[in-house]
Amino acid sequence: MIQSKQDYLKQLSKQLGTHPEKKQIINEYDVHISEMMHEITTEEYMKVVVDRLGTPEEIADIWKEELSVTPNKTKWLFVLVNIVLFTSGAILTAVYNVFEWNMVEMVWSHLTDIPALIMMIYMLFWALLGYEIGKEFGHGGRTLLKKTFILSLIPNLTLMSLTVFQLIPYEWFQPLLNTKFIIACIVATGFLYPICLVGYKWGKKVALS
Amino acid sequence: MFNRELVKGSTSLLLLQLLLERDMYGYELVKEMDKRSDHQFQIKEGTLYPALHKLEKQAYIECYWQEQPKGPARRYYKITEQGKEVLQEKQDEWQRYVQVMNKVIGRTENDSI
Repeated sequence: MIQSKQDYLKQLSKQLGTHPEKKQIINEYDVHISEMMHEITTEEYMKVVVDRLGTPEEIADIWKEELSVTPNKTKWLFVLVNIVLFTSGAILTAVYNVFEWNMVEMVWSHLTDIPALIMMIYMLFWALLGYEIGKEFGHGGRTLLKKTFILSLIPNLTLMSLTVFQLIPYEWFQPLLNTKFIIACIVATGFLYPICLVGYKWGKKVALS
Repeated sequence: MFNRELVKGSTSLLLLQLLLERDMYGYELVKEMDKRSDHQFQIKEGTLYPALHKLEKQAYIECYWQEQPKGPARRYYKITEQGKEVLQEKQDEWQRYVQVMNKVIGRTENDSI
């Protein structure tokens, strides 16, 4: 049972754990409760405070949810997803070329039949990157979008350079590496940032709903 | 009283609108919202600060501390230029929504008579 403002703040502090903005959060609720106490005349004032504010557990849960998505986490999540996509592709390519496993050959054959579809799905990943940043960080996410985009692009540019300078076995990527497909890849890479930006603007639109 | 989800979805818009008129601190925002809505918009006051934090993260508001002659310092919130822009967009969208809803609901009522 919460008996006083100090009790309330102590419980809130405990519930927030090692929250990075804990001090500032507690400070704001401290001021808020003090303001409330000026107008509550009943003896059971802490009951009114809890009714109006919510329990410390409820408040801590909302704060944990609000602060679970940080710019850094979002940035590294998308960078890692892109690295995972590239690594998976690299492993599949290497296994297909080194071993003669039927299952892998089947997967490889299916995937190389639908390069346009794969490219479209991959474009959606970049649109999603922009959308999530726009939705969560609104106007404040513009710089984050640029940083995340540049970092996420590293695997793409690395693979492109390795292919252009023929540092990786060129024949491994047959039948994909025809001139038409390479040009399509370069053009698509040029479109990645505009796609990100469209996603970001869309995300910003829903940021306040 | 309104559906809690409906109020929750409109909280950011209401906060930006109030801050458009003047800088306010948390408790002042709650009281102002309560007064203007004739006690119809009663949000859980504890949810106000995470909502303000989110608007700050989105660069639609900013804050500053102000010392008081009596009592502890208060954290004031102020709308930014981006906040004003997004508020205008959302207000237009809201007006269009209300117009369409009125039109649709109005027709339905007429149809049923």
